Amino acid sequence: MLLHWDKLGWWRWVLLAVTILTAVFLLLPILFIAALSFGSSQWLIFPPPSWTLRWYDELFADPSWLDAAWTSFKIAVVVALLSVLIGTLAAFGLVRGRFRGREALKAFFLTPMILPVVVLAVALYAFYLRVGLDGTVTGFVLAHLVVALPFSILSIGTALEGFDKSIEDAAVLCGATPLEAVLRVTLPAIASGLFSAAIFSFLASWDEVVLAIFMASPSLQTLPVKIWGTLRQDLTPVVAAVSTLLIALTLVLMLLVSLARRFAKSS
Amino acid sequence: MTPFLEIAGLSRHFGSFVAVRDVNLEIRKGEFMTFLGPSGSGKSTTLYALAGLDTPTSGNIRIEGKSILDVPPHRRNIGMVFQRYTLFPHLTVAENVGFPLSVRRRPAAEIAAKVGRMLELVRLQDFAQRKPGQLSGGQQQRVALARALVYEPPVLLMDEPLAALDKKLREEIQCEIRRIHRETGVTILYVTHDQEEALRLSDRIAVFSKGVIDQIGTGAELYENPATRFVAEFIGDSDFLPCDVLAVRDGLASIGLSGGLAVDGVPLHGNPAAGKAELMLRPERISLSRAMPASGPALPAVIGDLTFLGSHLQVAAATLDGRALSVRLPFGHEVVGSLARGDEVWLSFRPADACAFCSAQGGS
Amino acid sequence: MPQATALVGPSRGQRRTSLLLALPALSLLIVFFALPVLALLLRSVLEPAPGFSNYVTLLGSSTYSRILVNTFTVSAVVTVVTLLIGFPTAWALALMPPIWSRLVFGVLLLSMWTNLLTRTYAWMVLLQRTGVINRTLIDLGIIDQPLPLVNNLTGVTIGMTYIMLPFVILPLYGVIRRIDPAILQAAALCGATRAQAFRRVLLPLVMPGIAVGGLMVFVMSLGYFVTPALLGGTANMMLAELIAQFVQSLVNWGMGGAAALVLLSVTLSLYTLQLRLFGTSGLGGR
Repeated sequence: MLLHWDKLGWWRWVLLAVTILTAVFLLLPILFIAALSFGSSQWLIFPPPSWTLRWYDELFADPSWLDAAWTSFKIAVVVALLSVLIGTLAAFGLVRGRFRGREALKAFFLTPMILPVVVLAVALYAFYLRVGLDGTVTGFVLAHLVVALPFSILSIGTALEGFDKSIEDAAVLCGATPLEAVLRVTLPAIASGLFSAAIFSFLASWDEVVLAIFMASPSLQTLPVKIWGTLRQDLTPVVAAVSTLLIALTLVLMLLVSLARRFAKSS
Repeated sequence: MTPFLEIAGLSRHFGSFVAVRDVNLEIRKGEFMTFLGPSGSGKSTTLYALAGLDTPTSGNIRIEGKSILDVPPHRRNIGMVFQRYTLFPHLTVAENVGFPLSVRRRPAAEIAAKVGRMLELVRLQDFAQRKPGQLSGGQQQRVALARALVYEPPVLLMDEPLAALDKKLREEIQCEIRRIHRETGVTILYVTHDQEEALRLSDRIAVFSKGVIDQIGTGAELYENPATRFVAEFIGDSDFLPCDVLAVRDGLASIGLSGGLAVDGVPLHGNPAAGKAELMLRPERISLSRAMPASGPALPAVIGDLTFLGSHLQVAAATLDGRALSVRLPFGHEVVGSLARGDEVWLSFRPADACAFCSAQGGS
Repeated sequence: MPQATALVGPSRGQRRTSLLLALPALSLLIVFFALPVLALLLRSVLEPAPGFSNYVTLLGSSTYSRILVNTFTVSAVVTVVTLLIGFPTAWALALMPPIWSRLVFGVLLLSMWTNLLTRTYAWMVLLQRTGVINRTLIDLGIIDQPLPLVNNLTGVTIGMTYIMLPFVILPLYGVIRRIDPAILQAAALCGATRAQAFRRVLLPLVMPGIAVGGLMVFVMSLGYFVTPALLGGTANMMLAELIAQFVQSLVNWGMGGAAALVLLSVTLSLYTLQLRLFGTSGLGGR
């Protein structure tokens, strides 16, 4: 009845209408920004008077945008690598370990996920001022790692829990050393978990604003900080151009993830 | 002469829980030995100790006289097939079977040849390039078997490998395992809780109960001469009647049943000090007649239920003091046609076919 | 035999190894997370002088209490609105033919994965005085003067609703998918009308999802910084902004720490409540 699509009666049309409105609500701003980035109006009038690539030209002519993007990319890649590495070790420890306090440790590892970022940002800012990490790439990486690591531990931990340990035992009995068994059997088998951990960690760092606002210095800022600073002054269409490129990047990443999922399912 | 594989005084404690207690076992080269018992009886724990996946609390395991306890599992050179399908999900069937050779750094040509031969042995040549996810459960276990045999381990361990399969497939793969055992001559240690599977496959069976081995022997020995009540109950069907031990001579007892019937020459197991025992009868070794037999022990009984089971007739009878006895009559037995519920009959047996188990001190 | 494998316990050496594996993550989170946060909270009772003067100021002043009220009001409204939109959407998504639902999910994920600043920026542009929404409403003759949709709490609420919506839809979808449709057929066979079946069978079954999703949105909204800061303007501050302002503009670490403690204690107690009521936090909580 209420859970059969074709037996809902007129309720179905209500649900369908809400869903369509929701989808439009979710999609509209994104399409809108993408369209405006090609519009000629400085004041972002819609529909734009004419179409132009001017904002993209301005964007690529300004080295500070490219610098910021490059800085963000570097930091995000390092964060993703470290997060997967440290996260894998921690996930093995948590999932395979049978020690007292395991549940507490698990909860502690996941707290950065639920803690309001602004609290962490302010706290780290104070700490960085004292130890001189503010405005450094290292400072950025470590701060973002704190936010990214829980995603890695969660995603790799879940994959590892779904992996039958007897398969690893079988590899050891086949003659593989314990390390060899992990590297040649367990890690490939949980590859999709590692992959999503890497993507999540990359995005956690790449999109991160709040920590970055506090860590940044005039000479070192990430792309979100640059956007934030620009938006605090005016709503320039250059930001629409940046946004459109970021949306395109999102689409590419979504495609990659869905391909990886499909690959993981078929193997 | 040192035995090929020897388990000596093996025990495994988990905190205060004793999973395995003082297990001793000698296994000949090429033998098919089954550990049979209900779950939690210690059979799998013993197998895991052999594999090196678990460390025993005390005792020793020797292969050809040398202890293997200090050898890490990956150097024990032991093959193992698990209950769950433990194929490597990201590798093809051929890569799975070749894995043990690959970690031993064997040349590619040798790996290819051996993998081919193994897949032929388990009759999966056509599936070499499939991924495990594309195979049925039975096929996956055959690949696991090929993978465990490809490096020619002297010992193959199998931990309930067929438990997850349905009955028909299980019987099919049991035949395969027997054929492979015959063709390769590998020594197999097989864990199961299924007595039929144990009888079908094994040269010898070790019956596990509560962490100890109750009895080791061929299937026929266990059936004919069960050493404990547990073995008698676990292997084959059995009837039990309470009795008193009157006298013991040369392992044979004179016992008294309720109703005053005394039987001489019954094989006795256990310590008769308590004076109480239980008489075990096999349902198909009990004779049924309308008139009291001229000789031998016989019990008067009343017929309860009659169940026709194809090759035989299952008779549920009750002694005069209300003890239930199950009797199995071959189809074509003289009285089968005329038996009816409520009939009064005589149940007789040969003392040598029966067996008495002394009750534990304090009774249970 | 699963219980036999479970019996195979780790040796003391293995136990040490697993702790050792967790050590890098543990030390990172202690040095760059736990200690700095604790230090910040300590400053709230130590600066400028030991005592609770910062808390007295924070909770006593009308300016600050208005910010607290704003924060809770906006979060509550966002929670209710997302649930009202999210429940029917999740319900429809769980039932509709997969081709359509996949499409809607694509939109949902795209919106979720798009950079937060991008999404906020889009709403700044859409909601401005000369933005599409105001112009459309004027063109349709519904209003004469542009509505003030941005730089106030209306703008914050709209933007936050947009951002939080997926966090309600996804858990609700999961809960509805797990309900056996036959239960509702049974309700109908028992004589329940659609409305009765909804109120007395479906709604109670979906309640855990509503509670988890709603609580999550509420807690996340309480501590949100970026969207309120950009869409609310300086006059309509929320708690997270206040914390940032204490530290960045006013360099008043004591007050910053106090505001952080207020936010943190509300957040953590609501999460604890959720754990108590619904058990899991993921990662092997099954």
